[in-house]
Amino acid sequence: MTTTKTAAPRHEWLPWAWCNLRRNPFGELSRDERARLAVVNAPELARLVENQRHAVQLIGECGRGKTTRMLALQKYLPDASYTYLAEDQPCGPIPVGRPILIDEAQRLTRRARRAIFCSGLPLVLATHRDLSRPLSRAGYHVTTQWIGQHADAEHISQIMNRRIEAARLANGPVPTLSMQQADQLVARFGSDIRKMEAFLYDNVQQQKKTEGMQRGEMRFID
Amino acid sequence: MAKCDLSIEIDGGDRIYTGGDIITGVVRVNADKDVNCSGLQVRTLWATHGRGNVDSEEADSKILFTGQWVAGEEQEYRFELNVGGWPPTYHGHYLNVDHYIEARAKIPWGFDPKATVPFRLHATHPNEETAKRSNVIELKGPAAALVGLVFLSVFLGMGFAMAASFGWIILVAFFALPLFGGLFVAFRFLLPKWALGEVVCEIDTEQVSPGQEVTGELTIQPRKNVSINGITLKLSAKERCVSGSGSNRTTHTHQIFDQTYKVEDTTSLRPNEKRRFPLCFQLPTTAPYSLDLGNNDLIWSANVNVDIPRWPDWRKTISLNVLPSGKGADGPIIEHDAEFAGTPATSSDSANGEITFAETASHLWSVRDNREQTEMLVDAVTGLTFDLQARVERRLLYSGDDDPHVFKDGYAIWAHYPEPELPMVLYVPHDLADEFEQIGREVWRGRGTIVGYDTLHGRLQVKLEQDEAERR
Repeated sequence: MTTTKTAAPRHEWLPWAWCNLRRNPFGELSRDERARLAVVNAPELARLVENQRHAVQLIGECGRGKTTRMLALQKYLPDASYTYLAEDQPCGPIPVGRPILIDEAQRLTRRARRAIFCSGLPLVLATHRDLSRPLSRAGYHVTTQWIGQHADAEHISQIMNRRIEAARLANGPVPTLSMQQADQLVARFGSDIRKMEAFLYDNVQQQKKTEGMQRGEMRFID
Repeated sequence: MAKCDLSIEIDGGDRIYTGGDIITGVVRVNADKDVNCSGLQVRTLWATHGRGNVDSEEADSKILFTGQWVAGEEQEYRFELNVGGWPPTYHGHYLNVDHYIEARAKIPWGFDPKATVPFRLHATHPNEETAKRSNVIELKGPAAALVGLVFLSVFLGMGFAMAASFGWIILVAFFALPLFGGLFVAFRFLLPKWALGEVVCEIDTEQVSPGQEVTGELTIQPRKNVSINGITLKLSAKERCVSGSGSNRTTHTHQIFDQTYKVEDTTSLRPNEKRRFPLCFQLPTTAPYSLDLGNNDLIWSANVNVDIPRWPDWRKTISLNVLPSGKGADGPIIEHDAEFAGTPATSSDSANGEITFAETASHLWSVRDNREQTEMLVDAVTGLTFDLQARVERRLLYSGDDDPHVFKDGYAIWAHYPEPELPMVLYVPHDLADEFEQIGREVWRGRGTIVGYDTLHGRLQVKLEQDEAERR
């Protein structure tokens, strides 16, 4: 294992240097960072697609973490291939992988679906529509995971604190989201992680430089 | 268990850098086990953070060390890198731009340890691309009429074809949309113009600097007597950031500046008399520069409004490009295009005066983050055939709905050039299929023709040569 460490200059010109953060932790992340920070049991998910003709479909509404799961799995399995199918665009190329990860799989054209299902390669599909019937018809053993059905404060606090840690500026303490605050987020937004992040982003944004410094602590929820 | 820690110390602490400056410092490495490093890379880059997708670009990069680190020893490596020149450091609401020094040790079969330190960059000159950028593409006169005519013909054709196939109810629905569009155009443009007659609104320059006074003129020549409640000019700036893609795509907008200037009070305009209203406003001295970074933009505009009582107002939006003046600054102008003063086709380094694939790959690699330059370069080399090498990544199970390059009975693979690792799509003919099946991770050598560029995946498209006998 290796670690990341940064020297400790003052950087007082950064808006959140006062609480040892280099940026607002709840903004958009790059794809690589999103995969690295995902709170996902990738080994467990990988075990479900070790064999030929095994498929996992992740079904859930937007903002619940389907894509994050896929990206984390791609990072965990170097042989996996990930394809996002954009809306209103022709179905693009889908590379071979073990497993093949397809995001927005409900957008697969009939031709593409036939080519993929006939391959027998292990599949992980993030979809808004249940694809278990065509998968079963093609001889697949299907596991369905419903994402975001139960909101869990512990899971939410883990996700958010990992993001805060990734925004760390230097050695020393950084703010943390307490379990009580995570509970409040769940009560307000259910399992919609994307909405929680947007809410936290705006709250942190209000505490740039002097506004936050005067209070002396970061308040994620007022 | 930690194996290798990196830290960076910049000389000069929290100093503000300007375009073209050199940043120096030291990277320290502490290994608590013996580590084999295949490259300690240090680079300067800028990256956005905030609500938009992350945009970033490298300014300079160097490999400081390759080899073995021994457990318990601390090593120091000095670096000297160019800081780049654009965009400047900016901290807004949805959009932030920061510059970093990043050190990364490439460890085979392990996670690469990384250290990052931010630094401030103050832009004194715009880069060429930003300065050249024109915000508005205008279609005037006959060109606009021609485009309109073609659009109308296609639209009517589609409408009648639908009517023939699905019946007249569909046709009515089909025409409802343009009907509402037409009403909007009439309300927004035609009615104000009908009331005010000829209106010309111009700003002397669309490229301005913070603190600069901007002047222009609004002239109105009505055909009949008309009263107006007043004329205003609203100067505004907003951050516009796009997050997600496809169906998850969201645009976040945040107004960062908004000031309205009164140009004229209530007045009456006489028929056929040309009235001139001078426009004059000053940009704040602290105005942030216009930014166009892909998913993250900072946009300045001047909106002129003529308030006509009980009638739709006349309005015009003029885009402003707020850039550093360059005056009084002693930093040199950053010429991003300098590296490409000549196109590869005229490169004098090539043997026999012809460009090689290695040179093409190297040029494409160096502009891979600049879509415009990449497309220009690909256009220049499309159709050229090269001896090339490739390392296979993976075969495509499905090569897309409308890929015209795939050979009949052939297939496509994703591969990359060995050094630099330029990503490619290789279109493999049937007769080479076995060769590719067996090659594994070895380097493949052969001949191919560049046929285009896959913008979505950032891959050069190369069609491999078919065996002569097979072709016949």
